[in-house]
Amino acid sequence: MKNNIIILGGGQAGIYAAREIRQIDSKSNIKILGEENLLPYERPPLSKDFFLDKKKEEDLYFHSSDVLKNENIEFENISINKVDFENKKLFAKNDNVYSYDSLLISTGSENKKITLDNNLKNDIYYLRNLEEAKKIKEIVSNKNKITIIGGGFIGLEIASSLSQLQKKVIVIEIGSQLMGRIIPKQIADLVQKTHIEHGNEIILNKQIEKITKKNSDYEILLNDNSLIETDFIIAGIGSTPTVKLFENTNLKLDNGIVTNQFCETSIKDVYAAGDVSNFYHPFYERNMRLESYQHAQNHGICAGKNIAGVKTEYSSIPWMWSDQFNLNLQLTGICDEYDEIIERGNDINNGVIYFFLKNNKIRGACGVGVIGKVGRDIRITSKLSEKNTIVDKQILSDQNLKLNKLMQK
Amino acid sequence: MSEENWIEVGSTDSIEEEDLIRFDHQDKTFCVYKLTDGFYATDGICTHEAVHLEDGLVMDDEIECPMHQGIFNIKSGEALSPPACEDLKTYPVKVDNDKIFIKID
Ligand SMILES: Cc1cc2nc3c(=O)[nH]c(=O)nc-3n(C[C@H](O)[C@H](O)[C@H](O)COP(=O)(O)OP(=O)(O)OC[C@H]3O[C@@H](n4cnc5c(N)ncnc54)[C@H](O)[C@@H]3O)c2cc1C
Ligand code: FES
Repeated sequence: MKNNIIILGGGQAGIYAAREIRQIDSKSNIKILGEENLLPYERPPLSKDFFLDKKKEEDLYFHSSDVLKNENIEFENISINKVDFENKKLFAKNDNVYSYDSLLISTGSENKKITLDNNLKNDIYYLRNLEEAKKIKEIVSNKNKITIIGGGFIGLEIASSLSQLQKKVIVIEIGSQLMGRIIPKQIADLVQKTHIEHGNEIILNKQIEKITKKNSDYEILLNDNSLIETDFIIAGIGSTPTVKLFENTNLKLDNGIVTNQFCETSIKDVYAAGDVSNFYHPFYERNMRLESYQHAQNHGICAGKNIAGVKTEYSSIPWMWSDQFNLNLQLTGICDEYDEIIERGNDINNGVIYFFLKNNKIRGACGVGVIGKVGRDIRITSKLSEKNTIVDKQILSDQNLKLNKLMQK
Repeated sequence: MSEENWIEVGSTDSIEEEDLIRFDHQDKTFCVYKLTDGFYATDGICTHEAVHLEDGLVMDDEIECPMHQGIFNIKSGEALSPPACEDLKTYPVKVDNDKIFIKID
């Protein structure tokens, strides 16, 4: 049967879903509606290699327009501003109306904004898309002292990139450690040390009281009355799922769009995937929302299968990475449900990993090391966790013993 | 191709099964693998970013990059999983008297 399938949001989850649907269903119309006037592209390089000119705009696209054309996937640059789930219609600002039989919502997430009483809204920059990355890149080329508000992954990656462009960088973090409490303190401290060694200043436990514009520069007043002078401000204080469009509808929302393990929402024929979805994970028996490259891809593929009628459960073990200076940090599984923590290694040159165990099984792990040093072990960890393997703690904690020994058992 | 292009990598027992070793020759790096059905060789650096695949995980016929989990087929070099999208170069391998040789062009 030929259906009208609409994918709302032309990012990573959207494009992977579209291509997966096409693999299974050669007949249906597949249309991606995206408000960025760009084919779907990778965001991770925006805070890293794009700043450093190691990747150019043309390197970021997942697929060329030829691939979409060959697979008969339509991409339309349009912003949707109203939905009518009852009559299965989407409305755009320019009065265009789109009817669907099945809808995938993959609108991603958006940056939280700093609330300040004075009118400096346009003076603080955020990074989510290519346009913003281009703008920041252009402006910072004439700036020297840059302040980043928020010591999360994206803020720290920008801090690493700007430091490599010889900028003086200050990171202000409200919490007592970098990258939030989900990352073991010891790992956050190792990353912090690397930033400091490269000349970045890291300020923890401080809140911003006021930002004042002085000519073309700024003065930031912190809650301990200290003043920071800076000539450019970027904020990376977390993100929220892009759901405003659905707030007054029947679609069930709770930290994103609530979906089951089949990417189905509370409304029939409406699916959600990627950053925007708070999905039920059958392995962990709970809901979670992830903002990661691998998840956006795999969740999009899974949604695609389900939309095309191949009922498929999503149970991928979560995994994400962050690259800062010569370090690669990786996180797998969940690190907030454990009764024991085991440490592997203590030298960043060889990699340091913290395993989070519950009932002698790995629930999650977080590792950091010089590029290449933690990936294999983290990958093996995901597999051990997925298989519910009871692990030998001696092997986990001894870096001289290979982790794949645990797999062969 | 002439005989000289076959470069000795090491002895066959220098690689464990389902594993790899890194081999540097002149200014290039290669990975030489021992799979269940024999030895294989590829470029040693991921095509996504300049990361050594020697630290990656070998599973069946695949090598997974340790940095962002890009996956390549070891036998064909095909990039199988993003963010890797450019194929990895592969090289012929032969075993002679328990020694592994790869043919570099
Ligand atoms: C700077 C940066 C660095 C990152 N680095 C890493 C990393 O190192 N490792 C990692 O694992 N992950 C990283 N991520 C996260 C990863 O990129 C995201 O998780 C992924 O892009 C999510 O994909 P998505 O399809 O859910 O959403 P997105 O890729 O954000 O796509 C959503 C799209 O929907 C569009 N849209 C929204 N509303 C509408 C509307 N009403 N009408 C039309 N279109 C709409 C948006 O404009 C956007 O184009 C990074 C993200 C950013 C921003
Ligand atoms: S460097 Fe190998 S996948 Fe990115």
